[in-house]
Amino acid sequence: MANSPLNVQAAKIDGQTAQKYLIRALGAAIFLLVAWRVITVGLAEGYPASFWISQALNGLVLGGVYALVALGYTLVYGILFMINFAHGEVMMIGGIAGFFTLQFALARGWMEGPWLVVVAALLFIMLVGMAASVVIGVALERLAYRPLRQAPRLVPLISAIGASLFLQYSVLLIFGVSPHSYRKPELISGGLRLGDVFISYTGAIIFVTSVLLMLALFFIIQRTKLGRAMRAVAEDRSTASLMGVDVNAVIVVTFVLGSALAGAAGVMLGFHNTVVKFNSGFVPGLKAFTAAVLGGIGNIPGAMFGALVLGLIESMGPSALGIPTEYKDVIAFSLLVLILIFRPSGLFGEVLSEKKA
Amino acid sequence: MPKQFALLSLILVAALMLAACVGAAPAAEAPAEEAPMEEAPADMSGKVVIASGATIRIGGSFALTGPIPDPGLNIRHGAEIAIDDLNAAGGLEGFMFELVAEDGACDGTQGTNVGNKFAADETIVAVTGGTCSGETFGLLPILLEARIPFVSPSATNPDITSADCDVCNRVALSDSLQGVFSADFVVEDLGITKVAVIHDNSDYGKGLAEIFQNHILALGGEVSSFEGVQVGDTDFRALLAKVGADGPAGIYFGGYSTEAGLIAQQMSETPGLEDAMFMSDDGAYTQQYLDAAGAAGEGTYVAFLAGDDSEEMNADFDAKYLEKYGVAADELGPFHAQSYDSVKLIAAALAEVATVDDSGNLVVDREALISAIRTVDAFDGLTGTIKCDSIGECGAGGVQVFEVMDGAFSQVKGFGME
Repeated sequence: MANSPLNVQAAKIDGQTAQKYLIRALGAAIFLLVAWRVITVGLAEGYPASFWISQALNGLVLGGVYALVALGYTLVYGILFMINFAHGEVMMIGGIAGFFTLQFALARGWMEGPWLVVVAALLFIMLVGMAASVVIGVALERLAYRPLRQAPRLVPLISAIGASLFLQYSVLLIFGVSPHSYRKPELISGGLRLGDVFISYTGAIIFVTSVLLMLALFFIIQRTKLGRAMRAVAEDRSTASLMGVDVNAVIVVTFVLGSALAGAAGVMLGFHNTVVKFNSGFVPGLKAFTAAVLGGIGNIPGAMFGALVLGLIESMGPSALGIPTEYKDVIAFSLLVLILIFRPSGLFGEVLSEKKA
Repeated sequence: MPKQFALLSLILVAALMLAACVGAAPAAEAPAEEAPMEEAPADMSGKVVIASGATIRIGGSFALTGPIPDPGLNIRHGAEIAIDDLNAAGGLEGFMFELVAEDGACDGTQGTNVGNKFAADETIVAVTGGTCSGETFGLLPILLEARIPFVSPSATNPDITSADCDVCNRVALSDSLQGVFSADFVVEDLGITKVAVIHDNSDYGKGLAEIFQNHILALGGEVSSFEGVQVGDTDFRALLAKVGADGPAGIYFGGYSTEAGLIAQQMSETPGLEDAMFMSDDGAYTQQYLDAAGAAGEGTYVAFLAGDDSEEMNADFDAKYLEKYGVAADELGPFHAQSYDSVKLIAAALAEVATVDDSGNLVVDREALISAIRTVDAFDGLTGTIKCDSIGECGAGGVQVFEVMDGAFSQVKGFGME
């Protein structure tokens, strides 16, 4: 570039700005089209306010689940600059482990006991699910990613996809292909009815727990020595190691944190939607990845925000646009494409340093 | 060094390829040399020749994975028991039967794969399956082209059989019966005229939902919404909130067990739909539906295409099933009896057309077998009198409606109750 004649460089910049404006104009046009559709079709349907509130609540619950999983994507990306495509399966393992722990608890009658016992049992189930996910997540790092850490960036990605299929079909072979049905204890069945709005207990638990877990994560990363080490490794791995940070240990901790959140999401989703099977982590995994990209992958508040936005769009979008609900996935993934075109660094768009880009 | 390696590996690869060619060539030629000697006299095209001592191979496409693995396995068990019974009775002209089971996965693409596998295998005389309608639509064009007749025990989409397809047969009853019967039940027996219809976008579920919808409209009812979901979805709350906003008195779902059960369960959490009626189809007549629906399943309805059972034969079958697989025949799902009858129908047609030639081989003419399935004499199967009509509808029985009471299906209307 430095050697090229000035006028060529100027022309090039002109071309780039023109392209930038064209893309912005296109983005604005798409935004206006969507807004026009929402005003003329979605709002014209005349749904009552309680309907929109219900859909927003559904969206927040979905968003809470996506956020817990999206954080795992974003943490790993922040430190290793790789997409852990097996992360959805880590969540599924949590759900499966939770199912068997629930069967264990049911067999011992813990679920019919006084509410304190039930709550303790539910916490125990969640911890077992998180532990199972952590074991799988750490094993993934050790077996599928660490040997490839110096390889080109595409290689661990392919390894991740392989690991994802391996986990799915291992679960299929070991636990069978039939869906496993969670049986909700009486304590968390049903919900609150406020006028025409229904808040299910499991949905409320998911939202509150995910917010609490996100706050805990934020605290760990911003306020502890461990978190400082993680941030240092994310900034510059080799310099961090020169400063005495044990990079391998930090990477393992990253996988532990991400997998524990995914495991919690898997168990709570199991109680909420009551069915888990070998491939039930796949689509939520993709959605969470979308959420992470939406917020700016590598950016932790971005992943939380992106997940909530995605959840809301997915549940309110079809009604707002006046299209069949079966297109909710189309809306979610179109959003991914649009974000990648118009704002590749996400809504919270931090400018990527040269090393990350 | 790297250059030498490259050269070395190149030589190695070349050597391997050469070895492969040398190794493969005789193997490929050998049958070609032998075959004309054995089969030279007669034109063997369009015929299956089963050498003395070999087995009569019947292909089976079962939904062993996918949305309904338990019913798929159950249907496979039914076919295996039929094969056991045929062989215990001495087989056919001393030739034993063999089931070549493949996983059709309840899916059109996988059905096509299975079809290609069977079409490439010249020893397959006929096929039982597929389990699901979509899977069977995948099998259909390939088997039609390969001139392999099939009998499906459980694919119920009306378009599976038609005047254009001479290899297509089924023992299951068409959804045109079930859809109409279910609509009649909802409007006339339950007195509900405003319903929402949901389907799972499968050939089976969507086809059935459309028949149901059309008949509701024909009866003067109102369909407040017609929406699709995906097989494998687990969260229907956003959809149900939207459906519920139109205030239907009931929901009809065309699809499979898990989705049906989850919709029934999540309806109880949707304002406006807590007390709405829920009805589904034969795809949901399973334990999996009851498990997935939980307490919310009480008072919901499912329809089933039941056979005209002969109690004595069924008791015998159930005993064999329990002995062989260690579970009761009804536990994994319905349609095991239809599966048994599908294989028996194929065997009955084979018995009419198979001949033993001079060298002791069993010869089956494919075209003769295709027409024999349609013309074979009526016989008493587990599901009633099996006899095919001119387009390949061979089933017996009728539609039944069940209500879930105390966690079990209990019949409230239909076949066998009048």
